[in-house]
Amino acid sequence: MLELRKDIFADERDDNLNEIGKGTQRQDMLGHVTGTSSYFNDHKLQGMLHLKVVRSTHSHARIRRIDTADAERSSGVRRIIRGSDVPRNLNTLLSLINFGKDDEPSLAVDKVRYKGEPILAIVADSERKAFEAIAKVRIDYEPLPTVFDVEDALKAGAPVVNETYPKNAFIYHDVYDHQKLRFGDADAALATADHVLEQRYQMSPIEHAPTETNGSIAAPDTNGRYVVYTSTQALFFSVDTCAKILDVPSNTFHFIGGTVGGGFGGKVDTLTEPLCILGAMLTGRPVRYVFGREEEMQYGPPRGAERIYIKDGVMRDGRVVARKVRAYFDSGAYTRLSSYAAVKCAAHLPGPYTIPNVYGDVYCVFTNRTPATAMRGFGVTAMDFAIECQMDKLANLVGMDPMEFRILNAYRDGDMKAHRREAKNTALIECVQVAAEKAKWPIRDEFKRASSRKDGRGSRAAVPRTPTDTRGGTTAPTQQRTTYDRQPTTALREPPREPPPPPPQPPRPAAPSHGAGRFSSVFGTRRR
Amino acid sequence: MTVTVKTFTSSSEAAAALSSDRNARYLGGGTLVMRALNEGDISISTVVRANDHALTRIDPSGPRITLGAGVTFARILGERDLAFLHAPARSIGGPAVRNMGTVGGNLFAPNPYGDFTVALLALDATVALQGGFGSRDIPIEEFLQSRERQAGALVLSVSCTRPTNADAFRYRKIARIKPKGGSVITLAAHLPISGGRIAGARIALGSMAPTQIRARAAERALEGRALDAATVAAAASAAAEGTSPSDNALGSAWYRREIVGVHLRRLLLGQE
Repeated sequence: MLELRKDIFADERDDNLNEIGKGTQRQDMLGHVTGTSSYFNDHKLQGMLHLKVVRSTHSHARIRRIDTADAERSSGVRRIIRGSDVPRNLNTLLSLINFGKDDEPSLAVDKVRYKGEPILAIVADSERKAFEAIAKVRIDYEPLPTVFDVEDALKAGAPVVNETYPKNAFIYHDVYDHQKLRFGDADAALATADHVLEQRYQMSPIEHAPTETNGSIAAPDTNGRYVVYTSTQALFFSVDTCAKILDVPSNTFHFIGGTVGGGFGGKVDTLTEPLCILGAMLTGRPVRYVFGREEEMQYGPPRGAERIYIKDGVMRDGRVVARKVRAYFDSGAYTRLSSYAAVKCAAHLPGPYTIPNVYGDVYCVFTNRTPATAMRGFGVTAMDFAIECQMDKLANLVGMDPMEFRILNAYRDGDMKAHRREAKNTALIECVQVAAEKAKWPIRDEFKRASSRKDGRGSRAAVPRTPTDTRGGTTAPTQQRTTYDRQPTTALREPPREPPPPPPQPPRPAAPSHGAGRFSSVFGTRRR
Repeated sequence: MTVTVKTFTSSSEAAAALSSDRNARYLGGGTLVMRALNEGDISISTVVRANDHALTRIDPSGPRITLGAGVTFARILGERDLAFLHAPARSIGGPAVRNMGTVGGNLFAPNPYGDFTVALLALDATVALQGGFGSRDIPIEEFLQSRERQAGALVLSVSCTRPTNADAFRYRKIARIKPKGGSVITLAAHLPISGGRIAGARIALGSMAPTQIRARAAERALEGRALDAATVAAAASAAAEGTSPSDNALGSAWYRREIVGVHLRRLLLGQE
């Protein structure tokens, strides 16, 4: 049963909120429970054709020849789409926010980089006829050496998975092959710590397993536009991705979505819409492209696997004095969103704890595996699993209660985080206290009295002396945000404006003022 | 080519349709055939169905019980007289699959499925087949060995031994996802005890070979002996003999060979 602990942080909150804390009917609930919600696949359009893709049977191979002669003659086939038919057959999802290089074709051309990569799209009168035509396609492959392990992929001489990133690592700021976090001197602190614990954690990819598989239906509309019924969980993102790949203005499309039969991050990649619309453009008919269950499970993008090494230094009194992390995010053969996951991960280190010396290297690595994508807290979830396992092991090492150990090391308001932002609205201590209370887990009074609002700031607000690490880059960036604010490609565009310099230390009101600032998860204005 | 559905009122007509068309597949509950069609299996162009009431008959009386091929697992779970088959029936899929899945279809289910068939194999089942040239009963082992060639024949029913007491038949499915994951290993043991000694032991394993198989070496270790710790240890150490498991997403062949004895020991000793 939901219980709101309004006694905690009561003085920081108005209780005049319209939604928070109140039972509100979800707007789509009635349709779901009565089975009347309409999904993309509930649209059966007159003359609708069906699209299926021919997928690579190899994890890494050069395509020597594609023979579609028999497939073209197969009954009911309307059109076979090749990579050369796709107007812009190279894209990366986050190019929409100027992040990363185009590295993934809609249909593979010279080479396949993972098993199941689409090579051809066949548009036919029925799914069955499309399947029959697929069986008649002959593809001559020249298998290439494969790499499936993130650390092997970074070694010299490893097979190059994706030529856009020849060293098998995503490149940040056009220079760096990893996300680097340095705060204090972790190596020096490890050398003087009472105990050092180094562990390796390996995560597996996780499938979102939605009830409704990825899919869309595209149909020609009046005025040269196309109406697209889609399962996407990121409708406007998908509109712009299709506009880019198909090289038309985004107002060419009327996307209809909103009812997603399970997304969880597995429906942001816009996998079906571009080919579906292209099929409609090339045939002038409505086209439906839906993943089968096996396609969804095997070739739909999962949460990426991560390999994580953590080396911690802890003192006998329970203070964690150093945390050194190396993490490898398995992006699969293409970038999708793992590059961003690594950024999130670096910002999250060392977890919700105040540790004076933190060292992090986070790599986004390309392998011949199915491309990975977003899934619920990606970039943070697996790292948190590793960190919390580590916290339990450290508590055991120094003979402390794991709950008390977390309260001791928890970050507090006003502490400096490793990525040099002040910690605000921290509530880990209160969470642990409530969890202990609910679990009837005894913790000592001094830990029951601890508060996120006490004992922070001061020396804990300082950025420690941090030795410069020259490894991994040649030129230092003048500013962290240069890649995001890249030079515009055309002179017509307005040059990006520099964000106004933040005030050195925003003035803090003497007492919290009620309703002065609304909570923001990004800027954290709860307690200014 | 489009898929044609042919429905017959008699099983003999359905069997004739099935044996005359190489691309015909019989649809029982549809949990295998519809999945194949949905996933684009173009080897099926005709779906044959029969709504013959004989196919859904249950004869639970006597020392050997008979189940029509179209009997669903949900129905078995509703029959108090078939309590000894409830554990295997309950181990199949979720409620939706048990509502549709049939005894006959389970005989054709490839690894990691076909758990009910493991129980039937331990219970010395015979399979009644209707072919193009009349019907015949064949032992389940013979049926499983020639399963690939049986696609043109229609299974009418299966009969098996009713264990004399609840302790004489044991069943266990090892799965990673509970309650409805695919099988890592499925085990069934029929151990009739006569004068304190096992007489006619039958142990069947699922996911340990391309089809369900008997663990004959383990059976020999049990035969004529009392079910004590030494006998169980001997059977457990012989469990992997003659098996040929393969790798799949649920477990490797090596893992299956390593653990089959452990699970057989636990099954025979009644341990969790």
